[in-house]
Amino acid sequence: MRFRGFTITLLVVAAALVAGWARAAPQAGAASAATYVGSETCATCHDKEAAKLAETSHGRAGFAAKSPHGCETCHGPGSLHVDDPDIKANQPTLAGKSAQELSAICTTCHTSGAQQYWAGSRHETRGLACTDCHSVHNFKSDNAQLKAVSAMDQCFNCHKDVRAETFKNSHHPIREGKISCADCHNPHGTVTAKLIKASSVNEQCYTCHTEKRGPFLWEHPPVRENCLNCHTPHGSNHIKLQRTTVPFICQQCHSNTRHPGTLYDGLRAPTLENEEPNPLASNRLFNRACLDCHAAIHGSNHPSSPYLAH
Amino acid sequence: MRPHKFLCLAGALLLCAGTLPLAAAEGSGGFSLKLEPLVIGALDTDVDTDSAKFMEYRDLGSGFMVPKLSLSGESEDGNRYLTLNFNKPGKRDGRYTIEYGLAGKYALSFDYNKIIHNFGNNGKLLWTQTSPGRYEIADPTQAALQGAIVSQFARDRAGITFGFLNNLIRPYLATAQEVDLGLQRDRATTRLDVLKDRPVSWSFEYYHENRNGTRPFGGSFGFNNVTELPEPIDYDTTDATVSGRWAVKGGALNFGYRLSKFENNVSTLIYDNPFRSTDATDASAYSSPGSGSIGGAAKGLVDLAADNKMTSLFANGRWKFAGNWFAGGAVTYSDMKQDDPLLPYTLNTAIRGIGFDGRTFDPTNVANLPVSSADREAKVLNLNGDLGTRFGKNFSFTLRYRYYDYDNKSKRIEFPGYVRFNAVWENIARVTVPYAYTTQDVSAEFGWNLGPTADLALSYARKSWDRKFREIKSSDEDVLKGSFDWRPNGRVTVRASGELGDRSIGHYDTDAAEASFVEPEGASNLPALRKYDEAARKYNSENVWAQFLLGDAVTLSVGVTHRLDDYNKSQFGLKKDKVMQYNLDFSYNPNEKTSLYLFGNISDRDVDQAARQSGATPSTRDIDSWSVKFNEKNDTYGLGFTAKPNTSWAFDVSGSYAKADGNADFTAFVGGLPLASPGAGLPARTAAQDIGNYEDFELFSAKLKVDYTINANLTVGAWYQYEDYTADSFINEGLTNYLPGALLLVGSNGDYTANLVALTLKVDL
Repeated sequence: MRFRGFTITLLVVAAALVAGWARAAPQAGAASAATYVGSETCATCHDKEAAKLAETSHGRAGFAAKSPHGCETCHGPGSLHVDDPDIKANQPTLAGKSAQELSAICTTCHTSGAQQYWAGSRHETRGLACTDCHSVHNFKSDNAQLKAVSAMDQCFNCHKDVRAETFKNSHHPIREGKISCADCHNPHGTVTAKLIKASSVNEQCYTCHTEKRGPFLWEHPPVRENCLNCHTPHGSNHIKLQRTTVPFICQQCHSNTRHPGTLYDGLRAPTLENEEPNPLASNRLFNRACLDCHAAIHGSNHPSSPYLAH
Repeated sequence: MRPHKFLCLAGALLLCAGTLPLAAAEGSGGFSLKLEPLVIGALDTDVDTDSAKFMEYRDLGSGFMVPKLSLSGESEDGNRYLTLNFNKPGKRDGRYTIEYGLAGKYALSFDYNKIIHNFGNNGKLLWTQTSPGRYEIADPTQAALQGAIVSQFARDRAGITFGFLNNLIRPYLATAQEVDLGLQRDRATTRLDVLKDRPVSWSFEYYHENRNGTRPFGGSFGFNNVTELPEPIDYDTTDATVSGRWAVKGGALNFGYRLSKFENNVSTLIYDNPFRSTDATDASAYSSPGSGSIGGAAKGLVDLAADNKMTSLFANGRWKFAGNWFAGGAVTYSDMKQDDPLLPYTLNTAIRGIGFDGRTFDPTNVANLPVSSADREAKVLNLNGDLGTRFGKNFSFTLRYRYYDYDNKSKRIEFPGYVRFNAVWENIARVTVPYAYTTQDVSAEFGWNLGPTADLALSYARKSWDRKFREIKSSDEDVLKGSFDWRPNGRVTVRASGELGDRSIGHYDTDAAEASFVEPEGASNLPALRKYDEAARKYNSENVWAQFLLGDAVTLSVGVTHRLDDYNKSQFGLKKDKVMQYNLDFSYNPNEKTSLYLFGNISDRDVDQAARQSGATPSTRDIDSWSVKFNEKNDTYGLGFTAKPNTSWAFDVSGSYAKADGNADFTAFVGGLPLASPGAGLPARTAAQDIGNYEDFELFSAKLKVDYTINANLTVGAWYQYEDYTADSFINEGLTNYLPGALLLVGSNGDYTANLVALTLKVDL
């Protein structure tokens, strides 16, 4: 078992950390002298914020059932601020708090469901706060109270390279608004790499491309292991989101005897409309190339199809 | 009406029937309904070609339109709510959502999403679909074509040339029917969450999708007779999930069961051979119809996507403990099954199969197959665990372990041979191969808050692969990652990350590729080739991004991304893949009424690969090698501008430009096979020919929108959109319906220029 030694080492390190630092956990901060005043009091001045809040689940009675403090659930008790609104130090604003402190407020309630894996997730580790993407009072999206008008726009605030990919000729209908980044990724954290929601890349792809799931009589092993061996999901210049176009992507693995290793460098097959013969013409370098014959490239059930033809 | 459509419709009606009266009933008791401002309009679309690309994923046809229709309501106490959102109702890309619930108690939602995907318009088809999955050419046509070929073959077989075949088929193509190729996905999701305020809550989700239409599909009879057909698609996917959540202090346990079922309503494709009306064998199975052979099958047979089913049991949870510790675990156990009945080896009645015992049999009879159905099954186990803490205010530590096992339990089935291209029995016994694999990942990550403004993270991971029946049985990859995030003040953000990976492999078993042969004939792939998904590699990637707030109104961000995958030990196959990207964003928001943004991204990708051309056995001559360097450049730019100079007028301008420019630079050697045999009477080749249009595309889009508010209840508007798309790709350059050896659909999905004008009226009722 190649993993055993390494795993044991890591577990020992973990145990040491438990023993060494668990007792060093910080104590809760000193209680504030302020007391709760109630949301109605807040709304007397902060009417716009209160009105916007009322449109959301934070403003509904369901929230009140979980917390009786309304605005002060997140902002903290506001009596000192009410006593003298001009004293900045007493303003229960969240401005200036660190990402960790801000997220700690949200994760007081949002600990399960989609946010379950927030602690230790990629975005948390990179110092992002919930409020980098979400806004309680000034959101623009129809769902999830995002600061941008859509999940796509929110993600593209940072993931500029992915935004550019979606402009490529072959792409999923993300820009068209028919699927969202959040259909495949959970930005709050998952157990799968790249914040993929399913148990693996392939299982994620199968949620829409169920016909590829198989298993098949005749399998194509790299297809079974990882769809991303041949496809790039955010966008490609080549048909079907191929990383490199056919026939060349096939030739990255197949330099077999006879035709797979052939240099298909003919630019155009001769036609009666283009009668000048092309000395380099190949009848395997047009249209869908290899896939014209190997149409069942994802796997076949046909007894006569060990070469994934039909 | 199909059961699934009935179910979806019934679900939606039930939802409406159940919620609207309930809401209305409560209306008298304080439930208020509100129609959001309604936008209606008329769209005029003018496109200069029939390119399917214009409406690849959208419905922008001329006519009346309702961009969005929304209705919301809630009870006086705000507890009960109802929302209906209809986006583009009545269109092929419309979406309808309904949500109803009692805050904190239960929630019921329904989502119906229509997605179109057009591939090509006005493709030419000689065949007629006489029933789902059956494409026929009229018997007299088929007989006439075969008769002409048989006569020519008897008279002068050398006369069966491309010109001869083209002249034969051309009159039929002139009158062939035209088909549009495209899919429509209609997906409905209904979800019910109950007992949300209890320690144990439950969710039920039902999803159904019907995918209907056609897509281009290859139905080859051999190298000289490649036919392209519209693959008939009529898929139903049904998922049902029951899950529970047990919430306890500091964490939650989720558990459930999921069933996913895929059904293909057209599982077989049978299509006539345009050049043969009677069955015959063809010894080569490659060159018919041609001077060497005019044999082959009268009908082709394809087994389309097989029905399959997956069931999963899952449980996962995360808990927080004292000292900022957390621990989580997730387990999913799935069973993937596929047991479609098998089709016969062929429909060609002229062929005789030869069994393991040497006796001949009829390969058109499914009773002569070794098994009657596929009987495939894979068990998939996914285990995940993590353990982490934040100690002090400044340090964090996370350990992760992941195990993913795809265990293909299917039995190996031996076939005494197979029928190549429906034309000839190949007496080469084959056996199915249940490929299986396991991956494991162990990682440790340290995070360090360098004060309130900076975060540093370092991690080490080891990934491992264990495979059955593949060239590399096991391999490991070491991955080091680091990231640094710095927000020195509210005006500057810098994010940087890097990653180094090193995958080592052991023995590369070239014979593994022949695992599907009962009696292996020796490896046919180049012994020195390493399939890149298994090959040794080193990679590094870096990403730096910075954002600056300049004054109160300007935001500027710049970024650089680089990644290099180096398969440095691969002599053949993929050798290198390198991407470099730069991006810049600028936004100017001087006030709530005006905003401007601009963005640009340029990327440059280089891919190197190598091969060697062989004959019947793998070549050992260096001179037979060839290589290619691909370069892809992508430029993407966009802008947006909105202005509301006063309470009456609003302007919105947006646009984008995306350009892809690819080149393929080939190298081959004089005297080697790749440059040999130019053909009789043609000059010798002295160099490989490069490809300048390795997929070049341009898309320019601009939109101008103007709204004029007449009063608080009425706004009139207009918008104009211009799009210009060009495509230039070697892969479909100069394609016609008939080429040497290929009868293609050639659906239109190329260049177009579109002008769209719309008038809108926004009414607040």
